[in-house]
Amino acid sequence: MTTAPPTANSLKSGRWIASTCKMCLHSCGNLIHVTDTGVINKIEGNPSNPSNNGKLCPKGNAAIMRHYDPNRFKQPMRRTNPEKGVGIDPMWEPISWEEALEYTAAQIKKSLDEDPRKILPSLEDFQKFNIWAWPLSFGNFNFYQSGGTMCGGAYHPVNGFIHSAFACANDAKHCNYWINNGTGDGFSSHLHAAAQANWVAKARTERGMRVVAVEPRLSIAAAKAEEWVPIRPATDRHFAMGMSHVLVYEGLCDYRALKRDTNAPYLVGEDGYFIRDDNRQCYIWDKKNQCAKLWNDETIEEIALEGNYEFNGKPCRPAFQVYKDILADCSPEAMEKITTVPADTIRRIAREFARAAQIGATIKVEDGRTLPLRPAAYNYYRGAQGHKHGAQTNHSFKLVNMLIGNIDTPGGHMGVTLDPKEVDFNHCSMGESGMLKPTPHQLGPVPGFHYPPSTYHMMDYFPLGVHPPHFNLLMHENREKFGVEFTPDVIVNCHSNPVWAIHGSREKWFEFLRGMRFIVCVDIIPTEMTDFADVILPSHDVLESWNCTMIEPPHTEGQCFRQPATPPLHDTKSEEDIFYELSERLGILEAYNNVINLTLGFEGHPELMLELDKKYTDKEIARRKGLLWDGNDIEYYMEHGHSVTEKRLDKWYRPWEGCRLHFYIEDYLVERDKLKQQMEDANVPFRHEWEWDDYQPLPSSTLDPVHEEPPEYDLYAITFKDIQLNFGESLSNPWIKDIVYRDPVHTGLLLNPKTAAAQGLEKGSIVKVESPYGRLYGRISVSEGMHPETLGVSNALSRMKSKAAGVLPAGGHYNDMLPYDLKNTDAASAQPETVCKVKLTRLDDWPDFLKQGRTVYDLVEDYETAKGKGGHH
Amino acid sequence: MARMGMVFDLKTCIGCNACVVACKQENSLPDGVFFTKTLSEEYGVFPLANRVYIPTICNHCDDAPCEKVCPSGATYTRHDGIVMVDDAKCIGCSSCAVACPYDQRTTMDADNFLKGLFGTGEITPFEKEGYARYTPGTVTKCDFCSQRVDANLDPACVVTCPTNARIFGDLDDPHSAPSKMIRERNGRPPMPEKNTRPKVYYVN
Ligand code: SF4
Ligand code: SF4
Ligand code: SF4
Repeated sequence: MTTAPPTANSLKSGRWIASTCKMCLHSCGNLIHVTDTGVINKIEGNPSNPSNNGKLCPKGNAAIMRHYDPNRFKQPMRRTNPEKGVGIDPMWEPISWEEALEYTAAQIKKSLDEDPRKILPSLEDFQKFNIWAWPLSFGNFNFYQSGGTMCGGAYHPVNGFIHSAFACANDAKHCNYWINNGTGDGFSSHLHAAAQANWVAKARTERGMRVVAVEPRLSIAAAKAEEWVPIRPATDRHFAMGMSHVLVYEGLCDYRALKRDTNAPYLVGEDGYFIRDDNRQCYIWDKKNQCAKLWNDETIEEIALEGNYEFNGKPCRPAFQVYKDILADCSPEAMEKITTVPADTIRRIAREFARAAQIGATIKVEDGRTLPLRPAAYNYYRGAQGHKHGAQTNHSFKLVNMLIGNIDTPGGHMGVTLDPKEVDFNHCSMGESGMLKPTPHQLGPVPGFHYPPSTYHMMDYFPLGVHPPHFNLLMHENREKFGVEFTPDVIVNCHSNPVWAIHGSREKWFEFLRGMRFIVCVDIIPTEMTDFADVILPSHDVLESWNCTMIEPPHTEGQCFRQPATPPLHDTKSEEDIFYELSERLGILEAYNNVINLTLGFEGHPELMLELDKKYTDKEIARRKGLLWDGNDIEYYMEHGHSVTEKRLDKWYRPWEGCRLHFYIEDYLVERDKLKQQMEDANVPFRHEWEWDDYQPLPSSTLDPVHEEPPEYDLYAITFKDIQLNFGESLSNPWIKDIVYRDPVHTGLLLNPKTAAAQGLEKGSIVKVESPYGRLYGRISVSEGMHPETLGVSNALSRMKSKAAGVLPAGGHYNDMLPYDLKNTDAASAQPETVCKVKLTRLDDWPDFLKQGRTVYDLVEDYETAKGKGGHH
Repeated sequence: MARMGMVFDLKTCIGCNACVVACKQENSLPDGVFFTKTLSEEYGVFPLANRVYIPTICNHCDDAPCEKVCPSGATYTRHDGIVMVDDAKCIGCSSCAVACPYDQRTTMDADNFLKGLFGTGEITPFEKEGYARYTPGTVTKCDFCSQRVDANLDPACVVTCPTNARIFGDLDDPHSAPSKMIRERNGRPPMPEKNTRPKVYYVN
């Protein structure tokens, strides 16, 4: 027997460190193997973490290649080339940390002293809210990062209304009928992709859970689903309302839940507001006694959900009846015309959904409670909700769920808090008239109304919205119209690539960036954004730093701990060190510590609260977060890597017990009228252009304006990611690149073959794609998995030529084709439209700019012609 | 005597390629080299179109044509049925690569190791340490992570698979997870007409 040393990486002599992934914003537990020679050579999932159960997605498996990327920023640097642009060498000059911090602080200080609003923060570290919240230390509400409405604009406020939570997921543990509408939940994206894919695969094999995927493209979820329902883009709300029509008009609802657990019986007056008494208490109609009674009157004998009544001489209807009246026009036949989904299919799915919901069934859960069991749920995300009428669209999906009584119920549709700790801060509490107190501002405080605007992205006018970064460009081009009195001239950027991600023309964004006096980027590797930086402050990567977090986990709770597996490879610092050093030099250290105490929940825990005049390390902040969660000190977390357990059921199932859910969201009207008045009082010149109809207490079947573009734009275009590309930067990673560009959905513009033929195109045709707002170039691929009216553009075809980043361009960016105007943005939520109409023109050859240097298409050709590399059979 | 084999569950595989990247990690594979791949195949006509994700790997054939043609005896079958390549004996003739009906063998050209994963010629510490196991000019393939198997661990691709679509174990043991799955869900080997008697099965 030989005792040759092992060659398999995980078996080489070394040690395993329990830590946490950060290749996306979620936080799967991992184990990092470091050899005796100090090389990190294997990362696996941590099987002791019940969230991801030892599983990792492809990105989580590829973290080593980010760590050892030779293009990493190795020391602080200052630009010497005054010319800025993607692919233009900044000619970096290495400088010392001291010099870099002094210089950066001096540049920021100039604006801070003149007008703090001149600072444009772009801080996207979603695992470190202590960095995210930094601008609040100087009262700055600007926002120039790719999150916000680029991610889930209307989604978060509506989750805040319905569940008083940040996110939502279906309950994979009990669900038997799972509808995915424009989301990868359980298959490729959404919350904790690796973990939820694991739960859902088990549900499908062990319980035979049925999956229905409603999407214009045969996504991964659709490919795995028992049924793929192709749908015309930007009509998801109409599909949901068609289903709701069937549920309501065929009497397939959970009436008991609607009466007891929601505001559906509350009486609504003709103005859309609830009927109230002098103490602002709402009324319910008692059918038995033929009169209105206060919602909490114990003498109510029979709650009316339907009917038209009169109270104090004025007509009124239960909120449920209001929706029923709206749904009268939403028969499956009517919705077929809009969605292209056959009426029979809509009707059948609604009936199957209601049957699977087992209305009336109960289950005894482990905490001893007997709860309704509703094993059918409808989930959705960016693809379905990212439309002009985003708030109504999100609401329509929630109502499909609420009609069958499955909100936060075993098998149903669940609210998920951003940080698990929130459930201990009373995330559900009672508001007005027995209703759940809505928490639409899930991402922290908003600036409130100001005119002239106090933010460059107009957040002053979205009392119920999420930050719309695309409006920075609208404002910039229409400064006079919007009356802004300041001009941002400094960008502070951290792990964010807005110039790659946001709606609008790249060329215009480049100009926007070139107008900045100073840009600092805190980052690990070069991106499109860092090509515009004046100073680079390089940060540690995930394998070199400390953190403690858990972002929106379904099914589990706890904290996931990050610890260094190796000393930093380069002369880098933690984000904490960088922002503390800058804060001290800017004279805002005390304010910053205050903000962190509030943001991370240390406030109220004297032993954890940061002292205001001190600077803290990433390690110390991580330690305190662990202590805050469960009292365990850092040694515990360093040993186990996490404190994750199954969710406490009282915090997961019906955490709002005793409150009524918002079937009807009156707040949209309240806030609309308040904003109207504020705009009137301040004489805001653009108030007449404001899209006041967007504020609706219930969804309407209004069409999104994308459907009304000129007829020459004869196709819809959509963009998509898959699990290999989830969130953030992926393609500079050679292992990710090596799998993405071998997947046929990511290597061409996807068209149904019949559509291609009708357009005179075939596989391989080079085309120009134009929307009313922008254009891109690409090569056609055909797929039967495309709705015939739709062009599919993978996000893997959106990178810009950036030499240092090693990523390949493909002919433009899908988001160049998206509008960034008021008309196509939801006034209620700030959600912009993410679908566009396009026309295609066949070209004989690539335009000149794509002939210089390699593109994705050159790489794909190399792959296709490569021989003997363990290829297909 | 054990017969180690693998079952792929086509019902759950989501084509995420986590397995492929885990394999690249475990085996320090150079750019463009794969011991396992997940294919994505579309079929049917809209609106009944669908796509299946098919993991592929060396099938560790009981009757392995690669082994039969190997002139140097480099290819051999281990006691537990894993088909191995001894690179000390491999002369790089590539006969096995031609003989394998499943295209599962790769000749490790020297240039594989020179350009590096980032294509810049810069070799990362990860590569420097990992590439040492390979002899340029020899042929290589998946060995079911044989050293992990010896250590009682599942192969790297298996442990990471989010959907448990890769099930590994002893096919001679009727109670093993793969044996049960093959029995209960009518497992089929790839291209049975090639008569290589694969130890890899697919269930749907
Ligand atoms: S889902 Fe996110 S956190 Fe989990 S392994 Fe993948 S990249 Fe890492
Ligand atoms: S990791 Fe599992 S689900 Fe993902 S491609 Fe591989 S076999 Fe399929
Ligand atoms: S799949 Fe190919 S390489 Fe693997 S044992 Fe069979 S013939 Fe040999």
